[in-house]
Amino acid sequence: MKKITHFTLLFIGLFCFITTQAQFTPDKVCRIDNGHLIFTINLKWSVKEQKELMQLFDLDSTLIAQVFNGKTVISGEYEAWKIKKVKPNIVELSKPVDSTNDKNIKINDLLLEIDKWRNFNGNTEDVSVIFGVNDFKLPTAFNYNNNKAQFILPAYKLAGKVCLSGSFNGWSTTQTPMKRVKDGWIIDLSLKPGKYTYKFIVDGKWTEDPTNNLRESDGAAGNNSVVYCCNHLFKLNGYKNARNVVVTGNFFNWNPDGISLQKSNEGWFVPIYLKDGTYTYKFLVDGEWMTDPGNQIVRKDGDGNLNSLIGIGESYLFKLDGYTKAREVVLTGSFNGWNHAQLVMDRTETGWQLPYVISPGNYEYKFIVDGDWITDPANPITSRSGDQTNSFIALKANHLFELSKFQDAKKVIVTGSFNGWNTQGYQMFRKGAKWILPIYLSPGKYTYKFIVDGTWILDPANTLYEQNEYSTNNSVLWMEP
Amino acid sequence: MKPERIKYNILNILFSVFALVFTCSFIVPDPVPFNYNSIYYPYYPFFSSQSITYAPEFSLTSDSVVIPLKRAGRLFLIEAKVDDQIGNLVFDTGANGLVLNSTYFRNHLKSGGSIANGITGPVGLVEQISIGKLEFAEITYKNIKADVTNLGHIENRRGFKILGLLGFSMMRNLEIVIDAKNNELILTRIDKTGKRVNNTNPEFKADYLQKFETTTNILFLKGKIAGKNLNFCFDTGAETNAISSDSNKNILNSLTITRRSTLKGVGSARSEVLFGRMNDFSIGERQITEMETIISNLDALSEAYETRINGILGYNFLEQGTICINFVKKQFGIRFTNKGEK
Repeated sequence: MKKITHFTLLFIGLFCFITTQAQFTPDKVCRIDNGHLIFTINLKWSVKEQKELMQLFDLDSTLIAQVFNGKTVISGEYEAWKIKKVKPNIVELSKPVDSTNDKNIKINDLLLEIDKWRNFNGNTEDVSVIFGVNDFKLPTAFNYNNNKAQFILPAYKLAGKVCLSGSFNGWSTTQTPMKRVKDGWIIDLSLKPGKYTYKFIVDGKWTEDPTNNLRESDGAAGNNSVVYCCNHLFKLNGYKNARNVVVTGNFFNWNPDGISLQKSNEGWFVPIYLKDGTYTYKFLVDGEWMTDPGNQIVRKDGDGNLNSLIGIGESYLFKLDGYTKAREVVLTGSFNGWNHAQLVMDRTETGWQLPYVISPGNYEYKFIVDGDWITDPANPITSRSGDQTNSFIALKANHLFELSKFQDAKKVIVTGSFNGWNTQGYQMFRKGAKWILPIYLSPGKYTYKFIVDGTWILDPANTLYEQNEYSTNNSVLWMEP
Repeated sequence: MKPERIKYNILNILFSVFALVFTCSFIVPDPVPFNYNSIYYPYYPFFSSQSITYAPEFSLTSDSVVIPLKRAGRLFLIEAKVDDQIGNLVFDTGANGLVLNSTYFRNHLKSGGSIANGITGPVGLVEQISIGKLEFAEITYKNIKADVTNLGHIENRRGFKILGLLGFSMMRNLEIVIDAKNNELILTRIDKTGKRVNNTNPEFKADYLQKFETTTNILFLKGKIAGKNLNFCFDTGAETNAISSDSNKNILNSLTITRRSTLKGVGSARSEVLFGRMNDFSIGERQITEMETIISNLDALSEAYETRINGILGYNFLEQGTICINFVKKQFGIRFTNKGEK
């Protein structure tokens, strides 16, 4: 029996040894030795492991195919590479370390590569957040009403200067000083509903909000405080004897844990931030599902259950004049993933219309009239993607591209970092002596150019420009938070 | 390696103007675009001098100031006002002075010009301008000179408005404490002997001190890899450490290689870049393991600084602790965050 155990253990050990040897370990596959870059490759690696090897070390698939096909001499354009068999199924692929002057490297490419290696995506705010609720230890430390936010820091009374810095002011360290009050520091700001991250700066030192339980990593060693400027109040009157009331809906993937409501004199409530859009929801009172008795608008789901319905944000009225003899007109666009059946328009005396709530942004859309896809005849602004021309709309546009002169031009396009330098759109339209295009741009930097009848030009009205990779210039635009 | 590392002073400008006239007469312009950058490839004027004579008018309202640093990836930014422009300066000790972004300063008065030299020779003209006022924290500089170049690529990668780069030259007469963990730069007045002036704060206690010899605004540190003494450039603007790809074989053998890229250059040229970890780095008695590094050719950097450079200590080194630099005492000190690592 003992012998069998020993034998089994030996077998397991041997198996582990063999599998470990065969396993692709990125840290162990490559080394530099005596001026040579050497890859130790196990010919038993799976196709997946071979792919990982190629991706991590930027090795050409043709080169690796030769190695795994058992070639002993590398042919083709990879002559610098040599193969040496060191053990059964183990080969070393090597070449001299390239220590020549890297005169042709585009440095930005190198830096972008380093970002890629570290999975760094830049300092981008998370705009995808759909909902959020606050969690302050001291509920009075943050107030929000009618787009006015008030931050209170009830501490650091002896500090000489305190500033507030966050995503709402581009993380400025100087532009938002707080006012000293009896028990600490205070500031009022105009903020739109949304999620914001912030820190206080107390005499030059970054400081988390001590009254706020919500925080997220600042990308370095610390945390940023998180606050939601709420735009909706879920309220349930009565049910004072209930032990637990939560709300959940499609904004929370109908998670039954839901968002807890707080008790009030009238019943239950919770202020919440909801991104602009249309939502269905229900309350769970001590585990019992119920629609909102304070909201008469309900909608049946796919299983025939009724859910309460709310729209957050302003709705835009899409209209199509004419086509009165059509049987059906459907609105479709980038706002609903080009769904061709979801948004059936309402018939009016003169045509068709549909109010639809969507968040501020740039959208492309079309109408489907009895199966025929058409652009909006009342909208002169279009964008092209490949062979397709779509109507373009900027909801809550916050910037106007303008180009004076060029009155004889036939077509003027504005393109830039905001649309991936699409050379076919957005097409501007003429208003008086100018070509214009209203657009929605979130805070940040944009580079752009106009294309006037095929000729690329800088914005003559903008003094800011920078050199691009083609040694020409791009106009530069900053959108402030 | 580091195009922004422009050594300038009055002599330099004069020499550079001469160099411009002299070289333009027979040098064919290089087809490589003049691509300024912060990590690897220095561009520097011909005939750069190492003496420091440049001293802009300077005022600091208190004896010590804590400057909150913003983080943009692995860059440290200082919010500043340069004449009428508000934005950020990259705290970049690899830059030898103030380098401003041409997007915002191309129309300022030109005070001179110099040839910028790349790895392959002269690749562009760095223009010099005069700035009326530079303000950050409680510090004001007046009537300063700056180089101007395109720094749009930093903005585009990091999403912050970058007015320019700020090197050591602007703070040589102050004690400089860099606390990367807490994102703070603490500047303290010092006297002619390097001691703090009217300061009641406790002196910086270092775990390790190193004297440095430099007459430039660039700081070089001695370190060891695999027992070999090496000369490193201390560079807060370098987003990763670097080791020269033609280092001693024992040094290269000690590195772990984790990634490789071949980057496409102009035309069909491709260049190899290796990424890995230093396993056996030590400074003084302190061994620091597993610092990320790039393995690259650093010849041009060595040439730019007129000294042999084996590597760059950048962000990954800054992460190791709080650093104190005193140019008057010519002393570098570090207090390690991880006290246990030996």
